[in-house]
Parts: sequence; C-alpha cells; structure tokens
Amino acid sequence: MARGKAKEEGSWKKFIWNSEKKEFLGRTGGSWFKILLFYLIFYGCLAGIFIGTIQVMLLTISEFQPKYQDRVAPPGLTQVPQIQKTEISFRPSDPPSFSAYVVSLNRFLEKYTEGAQKDDLEFEDCGDVPSDYKERGDYNNEQGKKRVCRFRREWLGNCSGILDETFGYSSGKPCIIIKLNRVLGFKPKPPKNDSLEKDLMMRYNPYVLPVHCTGKREDDKDKVGIVEYFGLGGYSGFPLQYYPYYGKLLQPKYLQPLLAVQFTNLTTDTEVRIECKAYGENIGYSEKDRFQGRFDVKFEIKSS
Amino acid sequence: MRAAEILARDGPNVLSPPKETPEIIKFLKQMIGGFSSLLWAGAVLCFIAYLIEFSKDKSASLDNLYLGGVLIVVVILTGMFAYYQEAKSTNIIASFTKMIPRNALVIRNGEKYEIPAEHLVLGDIVEIKGGDQIPADIRILTSQGCKVDNSSLTGESEPQFRSCEVTHENPLESKNIGFYSTTCLEGTATGMVINTGDRTVIGRIASLASSVGHEKTPIAIEIEHFVHIVAGVAVSIGIVFFIIAICMKYRVLDAVIFLIGIILANVPEGLVAAVTVSLSLTAKRMAKKNCLVKNLEAVETLGSTSIICSDKTGTLTQNRMTVAHLWFDNEIYQADTSENQKDQIFDQSSATWTSLSKIVMLCNRAEFKSGQESVPIMKKIVMGDASEAALLKFSEVVMGDVIERRKKNRKVVEIPFNSVNKFQLSIHETDDPNDKRFLLVMKGAPERILEKCSTIMINGQEQPLDESSVKAFQDAYMELGGLGERVLGFCHLYLPEDEFPDNYSFDVESMNFPTSDLCFVGLISLIDPPRSTVPDAVIKCRSAGIKVIMVTGDHPITAKAIARSVGIISANSETVEDIAKRLKIPVEKVNKREAKAAVVSGMELKEMSPEQLDELLANHTEIVFARTSPQQKLVIVEGCQRQNAIVAVTGDGVNDSPALKKADIGIAMGCAGSDAAKIAADMVLLDDNFSSIVTGIEEGRLIFDNLKKIIAFTLTKNIAELIPFLIFIIAGVPLPIGTIAILFIDLGTDIIPSIALAYEKAESDIMNRKPRHKKKDRLVNHQLALYSYLQIGILQSVGGFFAYFTVYTVQGFKPDLLLYLRPLWENDSLNDLEDSYGQEWTKYQRQYLEWTGYTAYFVAVMVQQIADVIIRKTRINSVFQQGLFRNKYIWVGIASQIIIAVILSSGFGSIPVLNFTTLRIQYWFVAVPYAIVIWLYDEFRKLLVRHYPGSWWDKTMYY
Repeated sequence: MARGKAKEEGSWKKFIWNSEKKEFLGRTGGSWFKILLFYLIFYGCLAGIFIGTIQVMLLTISEFQPKYQDRVAPPGLTQVPQIQKTEISFRPSDPPSFSAYVVSLNRFLEKYTEGAQKDDLEFEDCGDVPSDYKERGDYNNEQGKKRVCRFRREWLGNCSGILDETFGYSSGKPCIIIKLNRVLGFKPKPPKNDSLEKDLMMRYNPYVLPVHCTGKREDDKDKVGIVEYFGLGGYSGFPLQYYPYYGKLLQPKYLQPLLAVQFTNLTTDTEVRIECKAYGENIGYSEKDRFQGRFDVKFEIKSS
Repeated sequence: MRAAEILARDGPNVLSPPKETPEIIKFLKQMIGGFSSLLWAGAVLCFIAYLIEFSKDKSASLDNLYLGGVLIVVVILTGMFAYYQEAKSTNIIASFTKMIPRNALVIRNGEKYEIPAEHLVLGDIVEIKGGDQIPADIRILTSQGCKVDNSSLTGESEPQFRSCEVTHENPLESKNIGFYSTTCLEGTATGMVINTGDRTVIGRIASLASSVGHEKTPIAIEIEHFVHIVAGVAVSIGIVFFIIAICMKYRVLDAVIFLIGIILANVPEGLVAAVTVSLSLTAKRMAKKNCLVKNLEAVETLGSTSIICSDKTGTLTQNRMTVAHLWFDNEIYQADTSENQKDQIFDQSSATWTSLSKIVMLCNRAEFKSGQESVPIMKKIVMGDASEAALLKFSEVVMGDVIERRKKNRKVVEIPFNSVNKFQLSIHETDDPNDKRFLLVMKGAPERILEKCSTIMINGQEQPLDESSVKAFQDAYMELGGLGERVLGFCHLYLPEDEFPDNYSFDVESMNFPTSDLCFVGLISLIDPPRSTVPDAVIKCRSAGIKVIMVTGDHPITAKAIARSVGIISANSETVEDIAKRLKIPVEKVNKREAKAAVVSGMELKEMSPEQLDELLANHTEIVFARTSPQQKLVIVEGCQRQNAIVAVTGDGVNDSPALKKADIGIAMGCAGSDAAKIAADMVLLDDNFSSIVTGIEEGRLIFDNLKKIIAFTLTKNIAELIPFLIFIIAGVPLPIGTIAILFIDLGTDIIPSIALAYEKAESDIMNRKPRHKKKDRLVNHQLALYSYLQIGILQSVGGFFAYFTVYTVQGFKPDLLLYLRPLWENDSLNDLEDSYGQEWTKYQRQYLEWTGYTAYFVAVMVQQIADVIIRKTRINSVFQQGLFRNKYIWVGIASQIIIAVILSSGFGSIPVLNFTTLRIQYWFVAVPYAIVIWLYDEFRKLLVRHYPGSWWDKTMYY
C-alpha cells in the first residue's frame, strides 16, 4: 500500500532546494515546521519520561550508602605518588627528575597537616596506638555529621615531608605513601596471628591491618634492601579505629590512615620491582586487578 | 569403438548448461557485497588501531586485534551463510532437471542397445516410438505413421507427420528431420543422428537465449538502495564524529576507535542473513504450492509483478481436448468440462442421445492404453488423437465400459479419417441379437456430414431434413464455432437387412455400401477447456491490479473464447471488432478508446511499430495475442517493460527461453516445459497451473511486507547501539555498550525474532491492492527509516541509558558524576577514583563496572527489542487484531532473545574479550517500562493511522 510520498527523481541540487515547489530537502517550510514541531514534542515527552524514571530510580537509592558494593570491595591498595605505569625513576642529584613526585606527595598530604584538622566538631583524636573499629551509628544524618579521626602527618616520620622536604628522593631513599582505598562501611579484618609470615609476625598487632613491601620477583628481593615503615604507633599497617568509613556526606573530611614506606638502600641503576601487599581476612587479590589488596611499583634510581 | 571415438570428439549429447559464474567468484561476491565492505573497513581500522598502539607500547591491549578478528569472522560467516543459501536453492533446480533420466534405443553393429541419451553420437541409428522424446536431431530413415509435436520448437501445436522424404530445403520445415527434445506422439520411426548436444537446433537456440541480458531483480535493487542508505548514514555519522572527536582533542587513535564503533553500531550485521533466510523460507513455502523458485530473489519479484503474459495451452487450459457442448434435438447442451467431468447434467433421456452416444462410442479408433484399470478415467493414457481421446473419455464417463460395448458391437469395417474425405466411418454389428442389421456410423466436419444426410433425428424419430432443420443446424454450428470450439457432426444409418445380410462382405475400396441419405443425429463440440481454478485466479489478479495478457499460438477465435471463459476478457468488455459488429459500422470507425479488450494476431503484431504496441498495451486492459510465434513473445515482453511494468512470462518451449530470460520473472512449466525453458526461467511451475502463479504472487507480496517489518525491526536497535558512542564522545560518560555486545545483539538475540517476522500473516487482503510501483514504493522508505531511527530507536536508546545509569547508580556512580568523567575513568594509573559516596575505585573495578554497564544496556536493548518485535508484527492493524499468538515463531524468537541473553550474562559471557557480567535479576526489568512505552506508542500510532487515513500523521508515520 503505497501511501508514502515518493521521492522525486532529480538532481541533488533540486533535492536540496526545489524552487518550483519551494521545497528544502524535499519538504516545504510548512512541512518542515510540522515535522520539527512533532519531534520537539516527541523528544520533549521522551526527555520527561527519562528524567522521571531517573528521579524515581534515585528515590530508591540512599544518599548515604550505596546499594551494592560488590564491585568496589575488596578494596584496592594504592600508593602516592601516582605515576604512569607505576614507574618511579629519578636521579637524586637532579631535583627536576623527582620534583613531580614531591609535588604529588605534598599535595596529597595537605589534608593531613595539623592546620587542616583543627576543627573539633569534625575531628577527634583516636589515640596514637591502634585500637578497635570506631562505630559511629547508622548510616544517616539523624545525628548530623560524623566526626573523623585525626591522622597526624608527623607519624609518617621521614616520609612526612616535614623533616625532609624531598621525601628522601634527593638522598636516593625514596618514600611512597600507601593507602587502602576508601570503601564505605568496610571494616578490614587483620589476619589471624598464626597465618602470617615470619617477618610480619614481629610487628603484629590485633588492631592493625598489616602491609608489607618486598621485591616482586626473587631477583628483586636482594635489590630492595632495607624497607622502613612509618605509620601510627610505628606499625606497618592501617589501624582499625579509622574504620568504618561513613561516606562523603557524613564524613566529608575523612582521613584514611596512611602508611609511609621508605626504601633506604635500593640498588641503583637497575629496575627494582617492589610489591606491597595488605594482609587481612577480607582483603582479596585478583589476577586481573593488580591493585586489589596489593600493588607493585618499579623503582629506578640513577646514580649519575 | 568408433562411437566412443566420436563421443570423445564431440562430447556428450547434452545441452551444455549456461555459463556459470565460478563458485569461488560467487563466494567472494558474498564476501564483499553489501555491508561486508563496511565491516572489512571496520576490521582494517581495528588492525590499524592495534598497530598504532602496538608501535607505541608493546604491551598494548589486544582488544582491537580481537575485535578486528571477530569482524572478519562475522563477514566470512555471513558470506558463507548467504552463499550456502544461494547454493542450496540452485541445487533444488539442478536436481529437478536431473530427475528425468533419458535413454535411447540405438542400433549399433546390428544390435539394439538401450543407452543413456547423452552417449549418442553422430551417425547412430536410433529407434523412436510414440511417447518418446527424440534424443538428438535425426534424419528419418523409416517411418510408420510417425507424428511429432514440434510445438516447443516452432510453436505449431498440431502434430506433424514425419516421413523420409525431403520436403523443403530448410531443415526446420522439412518433414524428414526429427528435432532433439521434441516428442514423438504416435507411430514409430528410425533415424540417423545428424546433430548432437549444443549443435542441435534446440541447442543453438538455447545458447542464443543465454545471451539475452538479465535484469537485476527488484528486491536486489531495493536491498542495494537500503544498503546505500545505511552505509551513507554510517559513514557520514562516522566521519562527522571523527571530526568532532578530533576537535574535542581526543587522540587520533581514540577517534579511529570511535569510528569503528560507529560503523559497527550502524551496520545491521544480521540483516542480510535474516533476509536470505526469510526469502528461502518463502521459497520453500512456494515450492509446496507448486512454484519452484530457482533464484531466491525471484520470490519477491513475483510479488511485484504487474503484468503476467501467460500461455494458453496447458497453463490456462487443461491441455486436452474435452467435449464442451452437444447439439441434438435442436438444442445445445453443455457438458461438464471440469477436470473430472463428473457432473454431466445434460438430458440423457432422449432417444436421440442413445443413438448419438452409440455413434460417439463406435466411430472412434482411440483406445485406452492397457494396464490402467485403477487409474481414474481422466488420467488414463489414450492412444489416438486428441479429439478421439476426448470423445472416448467422454463416452467412458457417460456410459461406462466403452471397450466392452465396442466388443458387443463388433466392428466390421472402417474408413479412418483423412483430410480429403473429412469424415470417418465404420460399420458395426449391433448388440441386439434379434437385430441382424448392420449399423453404419460416421463422424466428421459438420458440413460434410450434413451433405450426406437426408433425414435428421428429433426425439428419436427420423424426420426429413427440411429447411428449418438445416437452419437450426447452421445456427448451432455457427454458435459453437463462435465459441472457438472444434465442432464434429455425427450421423448413422441402419443398413437394411435384406440388402446387407450378415455375411455381406464390405469393401472399403469400392465403398459397396451407402454413404448418402444418412440420418443426421447431432453435433458435438470440443475444446481445450480452461482449468477450473483459473477464472478465480484471474479475478484475483484483476483485484490485485495485475494485468493478465494471453499469448497463444492458437486461432484468435479460440483464444478469445478461452479468454472470455477464464475472465481475461471480462464479460462486459468488448473488442473493437465487437463494437463494430454491435453498432454495425466498419472497424475503422470505432473509437479505439471505447474498447477495453483487444485481440491481436501475430500478423498484426508483426506490422506494429513499437509505439503502436506501447499504445495498445497502455490503452487496453484486456489483451489477447493470438497466432503469435514464440519469438513475438519477446517483443511483447519488451513492450510491457517499456510500460515500467514488472513482467512475468510463462513459457514451455525452447524458443520461449529468450522471452523467459528477458522477463523480470520467467516462469517455466514443470510438466510440459523443455529443459531449455526451465534453465532460462527464474521459477518453475510444477503443476503448470496459472493459479499457482497467483498463489506465488500472494506469497511474494507477503514477503515484501514482511521484509519491511524485518528491516524496521533490525534498524531500530542500530540507533540504540549508535547513541551510546555519540554520548560517549560528546558527554564523556563511560562507554555504555561495547562493540562485542553490539555484535551479540545483531547476530545473536535479534536473528531469530527477525526471521520469525517472515512468518507473519498478511494484515489485510494483499491481493486487493495495486502491485507496488518499482520506483515509488520502496522497501525502505523515509517513513520507515525515520520512524525506526528517530522514534523507536531513540526511545530504545533512552531505555538503554536508563538501565545503564541505574547499574552505575546502585554501585555508587550517580548520573551527574558520570558526565565528563571519561578522562579519569579511563586513566589506567588512577586507581583511587572517587565515586558519589567517596569510595575509591581501582581501574579494574571501574572496568568491571563498565562491563556490567554493557550488560545492562545489552539486556535493556534486548528487552525493548521484545517489544519491538511485537509491534513490528503489524504496520497498520493493532497487534491484537493480528492476534498476539497466531505467529508462534515470534514467541520462539522472543524466547531465543531471552535465552541468549541469560547465557551471555551467566558465566559464558565472562570469558575474556566478550566482557559480559552477571546482572542482578531486578536489573533485567529496568527497561520494561520503556518496552511498554514502545508498545503503547506504536499502538497509538497505528490507531491514528487507521482512523485518519490520508492525514499528515498517516503520511508521516505509516511505513
């Protein structure tokens, strides 16, 4: 049943502007107006439906707590400075070669300066020894904002940037700062005492989620040299009183616990691949996700 | 030995098949035609993108490489599939022609051998007998009453005598040549093979036929048109967004990858396969209805046919002489001419009929071939000429057991029909033991019979033949002759016992018995009657706007009579000659425009200029071409094609093949057709019945409608696949759907539902509308494209985005955060990206969420495609009018969509590269409201189209 308007055979020029019929692209002005008006209404309604359904969908979502966290937990373990391909390469004698790392570390640690943590309404001291999780009630704002634990930059010792503004880079003893990715409501569980390797056992504390850095491969292990850890109470890990996290809305100033690691005796002029790994019962690792519960970083310190 | 040598020299005695395109070329054509070239381009771009990445970084992700590989696999698979379908349908016909094995009786070294006809060589002596097909061109050496049917070669329908004298210089005219593939009707002959294979007369014509160009099929043109539209859209959007991407400072590599995505999203990869399958399903359905389609695309061509040029004999008619009318007792009676002749309702009580029936029965040399006791009378094979066979069957039906009766009335002597006497006579004993008289029965040309009569039988009584009864006879004769029927007169005489005692010896030579002053009994007229289904089929054609033109070698009067009886010339329309006769004015004075019908003879046609023929074809709706030669068929076809018509032509003879080739759709007869005709044709009618063509047309029209639905269904989701890329580029959101998921929609979930649409029943009577106009009624018109692309397609995209935003939101990324998040989102070294709740995501976690987004979008499109396949069931009627459950295959299709999606989402799809993830059960239903909106909106559209025909809405929204 041919009811469609048939396209007239003709040249392109005529199709674009047909002066006889006053048609532009095969339609007259009135026809264009009608069709455009139709699509305006149609898309208007469609936009309305879309916004409506999105709004309805958002209504079913809590502002304070994501509906599902199966994609974000177990959390990732990340380091500062963050660099392309996680490759830290510099020459201690040449400041511009490591300035980017220093800037990155400084910027990251700004939140952790004492001046930024003054407000007692938002911050509280949670002690300088590791302790148990700090529950702060339900995930809503009935009691207003939740306070957060202070984390003092000084605890990072040599890597705090206070004593050495170059975070050890100028002396060939680079620092990195390790953090566990924030996951709302996540309570990291330290591993059982007996399931740990020997060197971890030594610094074991039931309220600390231990982190350990070592050479990734066997031949890297000799090149790593001495690794120094700076964290709360001197433990190489994340103290539990900083958990759980209550989210951006309830704890806008939340400071996640940090662990600074300094490599004081890295073999120079060679690539050293170091893997840092968090240990815990609910910390997972994945073949595909190289940043879940662990990460690796490549150092190359050029001596000359 | 010698034979083998010649065989090796000349090759086998078969017509070489028309030059075939080599298989590999056909295969490659499938690989590069249509969308394949776009996909090739996509694959090449993929490899280039990978190489660029690889040259920068040896550990580049292999995704592009995989995608390129997948694309090539897709192209090759769809190409192979199309090739397979094509080959399968070609094989049907190939096997069909091979079904008839032919043997020849050959005398070699003085011994008779039966060998396959293709092993015949020059100089072989062959024997033929009635019923055989002549195995090669032969020169007749001896002949005993041999008659051949040369109709397939010369168009002469009368049987021709063959003897061993040279009667003409032209071998075609000479009586001593038997032609390859013609049939010997009766008698026997021996002949020497003078030509074999392609060198035979038929072979030469056949090779001529293959040189006539074949036009592109309409559906091929339509699909090409459609491919151009889609490719145009794909390439132009691709290039526009390539430029936009460059302007937005994306890397060139990224822009290339976007380009690939856009092309992929735009190309309906599964469509070609779906169309091919739908066409072959229809072809199968048509084969069941006795239309064997050789070329898949011919299925649709048949549907757009606007003129059918049909043969008369065998196609419109039953191809056998049958008693049509009887005249006795001064009255014309009608006989049943239907295929089984069961209802003979004329008055059989009259004593005249008793006498007439006796003459019919006795004065007849035809006999049933033995061994056919269980065969229905009409199907029995008869030895004898067509008229005699008709009379034999007629008397068998009316009186029963003719052979037994003939035995009782023993034949004493007979004079067979010859063209000088124009009568046939026999003398019999009677079956009444008390009646010792002989009965002389005679039949022949009515005027000759009447000359020999002095009395006429009325109601069983002999009456003198006065002027009034002669007048009555003349009128009846004229009337029956005017119907185009062959009229025979019958008379008899009981020889007086005293003059002709039972030991009287009759002598044919001296004619020692009376042949005058006989008693005239009646007339019987014979015709090759129309098939009983044809008039309905012609009416159907007429309401479908299809012009039926009869082309026949028969006499104009016969042709016209048949045309009238089947409705090709309708009851109330007149030819120029009719008008002249009615108004009693000369033919030249009649206004030609008044005559709807025209009967044109071959002689007249010969003298017409092409312009005159055009005028004839344009101004008359009912045309009969009589006394035409098969060559003139080609002229007629070309004339019709000049009218912009899509022409279907039937033919059976070898020299019909040029016309069959030239026609848009050539239809060969399966039973009567010659091989050459079958090779040249696009379609073979297995039962030679005209009405099968009409059923074929119905199927063809249906598939055109259904192809529209299939394409509309398929195109819709292309927008839903394309928009994500556009939004991704412009709004910088994480990619909503990956290229692999797109391929899984196109070649996975959507395939079976789109094929299922081919089973959809017609919405209204498709035989009540005009044939589609080649140039105006496109398969893909702008209404279809706009409605699918800009309305339902956009709706689907919105539904898909809703699902996409939902799965991101429930995991922590609210829609507002996603906008322009792309640079961070895709940053490989950023492993602590904050979401809306302040949680930090590693790259892989985001990647996994992105795949979940792909899956959600994929499922949303799948869910909305369920609604889409349901709305596409109809274009104007409500789905409920059409019946939601009438087409079961739709539900099979819907089930397949769901099952494929479930399989992909539950484990199987998580294998690398595919990147599907499991989706929580509730997110399968996110798009359901949108699916419902699609359904409701389309019902609303159809409602308005139905209620306001001709309105702006109708013109804009009806596709």
